[in-house]
Amino acid sequence: MIFDELRAIQHKHGYLPAEPLRALSKQLDVPLYRINGVAEFYPEFHTSPPPKLRIEVCRDMACHLRGADRLIADLRQRFLPLGKQVVEVHERSCLGQCDCAPALTINEILFRNVNVRQAEILVQTGLAGLEMSKQSAARPAIELKSDPYPGIQRYGALRQLFETRDWDGVISTLKAAGLGGMGGAGFPTSIKWDVVKKAPGPDKYLVVNADESEPGTFKDRFIMTHLPHLVIEGAIIGALVTGAKTGYIYIRHEYREQEAILREELEYCRSEGLLGDHILGSDLAFHLDVFVSPGGYICGEGSAQLEAIEGKRAEPRHKPPNSATHGLWMKPTVLNNVETFANVPQILARGVEWFKSQGNHEAASGLKFVAVSGDVQRPGVFEIPMGLPLSDVVFGLAGGPRDGRKIKAFSPSGAASGYQPASKLDTRLDFKSMSAAGTMLGSGAIVVLDDSRCILDMALNSVTFFRNESCGKCVPCRVGSAKMTDVLTGWTRGKGVAADLELIADLSETMKQTSICGLGQFVPYPILTALQNFREEIEAHILHAKCPAGVCPMRGHGMVR
Amino acid sequence: MKQIDLTIDGTPVTVAEGTTVFDAARIHGISIPVLCHQQNERPAGVCRVCSVDCGEKVLQASCVRPAENGMKVQTDSEKVRKARRMIVELLMSDHPSPCARQRHSGDCELETIAKAEGIGAPRFAKRISPRGQDDSSLVISVDHEACILCDRCIRGCDEIRHNNVLGRGGKGYGAGIAFDLNLPMGNSSCVSCGECMVSCPTGALTNKSVVRTVLPNGVPVAVEELKQLPYFQNVSGTFLELNANAVIKRHFKAGEIICREGDYGSTAFFILEGKVEIFLSTPMAHVSTDGGASGFIRKLTSRLTGADRQKPDRDRPRSISIDASVDLAYDNPVAELGEGDLFGEMTCMSMYPRSATVRASTDCVMLEMLRNVLDVIQRNKTLREKLEANYRKRALDDHLRTVPLFSSLSPEFIESLASKAELVRLSNGDVICRQGEVADAFYLVRIGFVKITEEHPGGDLVLAYLGKGGYFGEIGLLANGLRTATVTALDHVELVRIDGADFMEMLTRFPAIARELTAVAREREQQNSRHMAAVTGISLDSFLTQGLMESNSLLLIDLDKCTRCDNCVRACADAHDGVTRLIREGLRFDNYLVATSCRQCRDPLCMVGCPVGSIRRRNSLEIVIEDWCVGCGLCAQNCPYGNINMHPFEVMVKDLAQPGGQKAVVKPKATSCDLCADHAEPSCVYACPHDAAHRVEPNQFFKVYAETKIAERDSPATVRDLTAAKQTGTIARSPHPRDPRSAH
Repeated sequence: MIFDELRAIQHKHGYLPAEPLRALSKQLDVPLYRINGVAEFYPEFHTSPPPKLRIEVCRDMACHLRGADRLIADLRQRFLPLGKQVVEVHERSCLGQCDCAPALTINEILFRNVNVRQAEILVQTGLAGLEMSKQSAARPAIELKSDPYPGIQRYGALRQLFETRDWDGVISTLKAAGLGGMGGAGFPTSIKWDVVKKAPGPDKYLVVNADESEPGTFKDRFIMTHLPHLVIEGAIIGALVTGAKTGYIYIRHEYREQEAILREELEYCRSEGLLGDHILGSDLAFHLDVFVSPGGYICGEGSAQLEAIEGKRAEPRHKPPNSATHGLWMKPTVLNNVETFANVPQILARGVEWFKSQGNHEAASGLKFVAVSGDVQRPGVFEIPMGLPLSDVVFGLAGGPRDGRKIKAFSPSGAASGYQPASKLDTRLDFKSMSAAGTMLGSGAIVVLDDSRCILDMALNSVTFFRNESCGKCVPCRVGSAKMTDVLTGWTRGKGVAADLELIADLSETMKQTSICGLGQFVPYPILTALQNFREEIEAHILHAKCPAGVCPMRGHGMVR
Repeated sequence: MKQIDLTIDGTPVTVAEGTTVFDAARIHGISIPVLCHQQNERPAGVCRVCSVDCGEKVLQASCVRPAENGMKVQTDSEKVRKARRMIVELLMSDHPSPCARQRHSGDCELETIAKAEGIGAPRFAKRISPRGQDDSSLVISVDHEACILCDRCIRGCDEIRHNNVLGRGGKGYGAGIAFDLNLPMGNSSCVSCGECMVSCPTGALTNKSVVRTVLPNGVPVAVEELKQLPYFQNVSGTFLELNANAVIKRHFKAGEIICREGDYGSTAFFILEGKVEIFLSTPMAHVSTDGGASGFIRKLTSRLTGADRQKPDRDRPRSISIDASVDLAYDNPVAELGEGDLFGEMTCMSMYPRSATVRASTDCVMLEMLRNVLDVIQRNKTLREKLEANYRKRALDDHLRTVPLFSSLSPEFIESLASKAELVRLSNGDVICRQGEVADAFYLVRIGFVKITEEHPGGDLVLAYLGKGGYFGEIGLLANGLRTATVTALDHVELVRIDGADFMEMLTRFPAIARELTAVAREREQQNSRHMAAVTGISLDSFLTQGLMESNSLLLIDLDKCTRCDNCVRACADAHDGVTRLIREGLRFDNYLVATSCRQCRDPLCMVGCPVGSIRRRNSLEIVIEDWCVGCGLCAQNCPYGNINMHPFEVMVKDLAQPGGQKAVVKPKATSCDLCADHAEPSCVYACPHDAAHRVEPNQFFKVYAETKIAERDSPATVRDLTAAKQTGTIARSPHPRDPRSAH
């Protein structure tokens, strides 16, 4: 595994110096350009010597709302004069800690809910060579409706399935339940599994996509923390149904805590004979392991994720063909989100009727984990019946806006879903209702903005995220996201012109039409939805050089980045 | 094979299953504009210019989209055109238009499409962060600004030529093409096959058109003929055509001279057929320093002073390194080269004078080439292996044995070291190892010159320049494994790298060497600390600005005492065959004259470039010009102080035209003050009747001088006399037994 080798080198030297890379190239018989290609692609790897403290502050949605910019500026002002051998301060893409914003890492140690003063103390502690007090990773036991095994033996659905060996029955059950992909697309799981099951050949793979990296999304973190056994049970069932012999849980490297939880649970499964060459003493085999991502939002894109597992640059593949028939190592591959897998044992253990009855109304089934962050009193992950109105979640569970503020807008599913007005908060949270309201359920990552926020500022924040995370493979995304960031930055500095509106419309259409993968296709959504729902506010920036919310720097503030 | 029926722009089309939409259209005469796709390469689908409407939710890149039954394809609808125009506009907004290719041949593919699509000034702002240029390759110029990341060069390099050098580096908007570990192209393992350049649609990779000169006296070689040679086999034909003028075929008759030592040149020769003799025609002549009072008599005999009269030298090499894959034996400097041998590499790469004379011993056919072509064939893996094998066989053993530490090694061990050695190519300015870094290898210089410097507060100190046969790195491997100095390539350099592990194995097997090395390392450390104590103790502005601190030894004349009798000059002439190496003029410092005479600089620039390595530092500090000087005059040109002079000597040489005969010729030789190395004291100092001339070690002298000045200021009665310095033992050649060739 090339990433493990690179990690070993980086662990030893603090970065990836040329000499050991040359040795690795010889040892693995892999050309240098390929090693360089991945070393420079993934944020986990560094090709220059590290400073004493490398501080990386999350810059995306929730952290941006909670003052990440100020935090970064303050840390830079305070500590950069010490020299870049001592301290580096970088912006970092969403760490998946949106409920504890702002979050930062110092030498890859995660700190949450950090204010400027705390950050300074942390850095000074680090500079003094003392151990920075790690935040406790306490994991209180929570009772969740989703867990079909409260206080009873787990993996019941799997054991039961072993008695009937009715693999086809699983697919028809999932079909009857109407389980859709919980990563955001809602594609029927039964169809995906059926394609893989029917695909010819003995070599098939299964991948659990636990790489959630979309700003605002952290529900998989919650599920992996509290229901790891459901994820793994769903994966084992998926493998047995489709015939996959090897599987990976592809988890982002920032989720160290969850990685440990999963490894522990996998070890338990192996000891119980639920994984391995002879599952429950049978002739059926499945090996499941954790694959730690070297980082990057693009790795959440299915085909890019497969490229990453193959040790390459995570650049999305052209589709067709799809991963169900041409997946990992070009073999048929089941690839589903954490939450999708976690739903499978729920349905099998309790039945389709139970699943359907969990929904809030006729057309919605099951339970859903939604992550709420931004301008609410109680950000967090909530387990809700599918189809619950958004307002119940935002005002009820999450406690509504901060005192004296009103909700102005919300993002239904992180950066890629764009910005909807508060008037749409009565929409029910299920695939159909959200789609009918002109938006999407996505992965259920609700970021709330109150009336102190500037919608353009937020759109720029999201578009910049995509620019930062574009893999660069295709022109429309690589260049388009950069140019879009430039134009929007210009708008926030009072440098917009009326013609820009048409330019952005054209660029958006091209990006949607010609980008290879979803990342590029969704780059325009933040600004398009902002224009659709808050056009006056945006035009005020462009045509009158005014930021109605008083957030954007407008004229006389620096250069366009 | 299954057939697929689809319609393209309304025309029904039938193609074999697996055909892409792009190819289906092309077969039926519909051309779709594209940048990242060309017929001889696997499609990549990254530029998206070939996007077409297949009736799906989004457009499809036709070059990667397989045709499907019933597909209705629109290649030129308004929707498709709009998307295409936007993509081209995006690319043009960062394109340095007109790019190198557009300027030279007007056929940059991006600019051509942009023109066809009627795209004027892009509406987007240009990229701010520069991506830069890379001029390090001798044959291909890289302009990253013009790169559109179409991956054509990458596929050309890795999939067509299987050279596996090029890939994508970075990510997103910061992505770019990268050679090996993102090295400059010239330092990478690129073999200069030219495929990337031929594949490039823009001016990102272009042929360096520096070579417009047609080499004289030869026949241009047809591309087909070149491609027959194994060393050009894998090189792109277009690329060879672009470099056609830079390589010619030459025929020589037996006995004909191919090149002469001391001549300046810019070409290398590759022997296709026949044999040549390579030798030094300048005899081993050296200016005797036996003189003294009997100088006049000595002068009469000086012409005849040959190698046999040379005093037994302390460290005379067994062989003389020349610019070929052989060394010449000191006693009999002649060797033979044959088919497949290459000579003149250093002359060609770094424009040094020829180091030896080459004469055809049979009728010969040669390729004569300029450096861009030499670079191409030197990067060829087959030829490299051959060159390396030749070097291992003929010179490596010799070079290894010049390392005193290795002289006691068993032949088998030397052989095993040699077999593990690796040849490394570097260009001007490349740092080979840096002081303080972990030492991982031992190096021998095969071609070119390196500079060895120590970092000190207030600037770097040049310890030595090493040319062919020089070596470094052994100290670092021992001195707690860290480099004690920085080594930088001064021109095109090739090094033999012996891995640290192999070196350490040697130390385990031969403990005596380890002990010796450790002793040397300790001694060097002590010297350095002494030296630095001296340097930091003084600060005299004018002294520094005159560069005097850079010297190791100065000839100072105390003008208060000097009567201008010129005895020093005469003594010098007497000691050196009537040719004085001292001129009683020069910089003045207080009441001292710094005579124009070799200063034995700490940074002896004169040593850089000597094609035969005859100007060098001995174990003591003096810089000497050995008797195999071929008289090219490069050192005289290099000396910033005008202290090296070329003097003609009449010598008898073999008459090449008349086998067995001899004739008298005038040969220039470089001369410089040798500190009268064979006497107790330099003749000039010895001869001065007024005690005015002194050879001093500047640091110590000025330390005393400064103290004297301070004392004088405090108490004017203090004697201001150099005797003070003399008593401290700083006069004349202060012993300083550091071996400058041995470092780091």
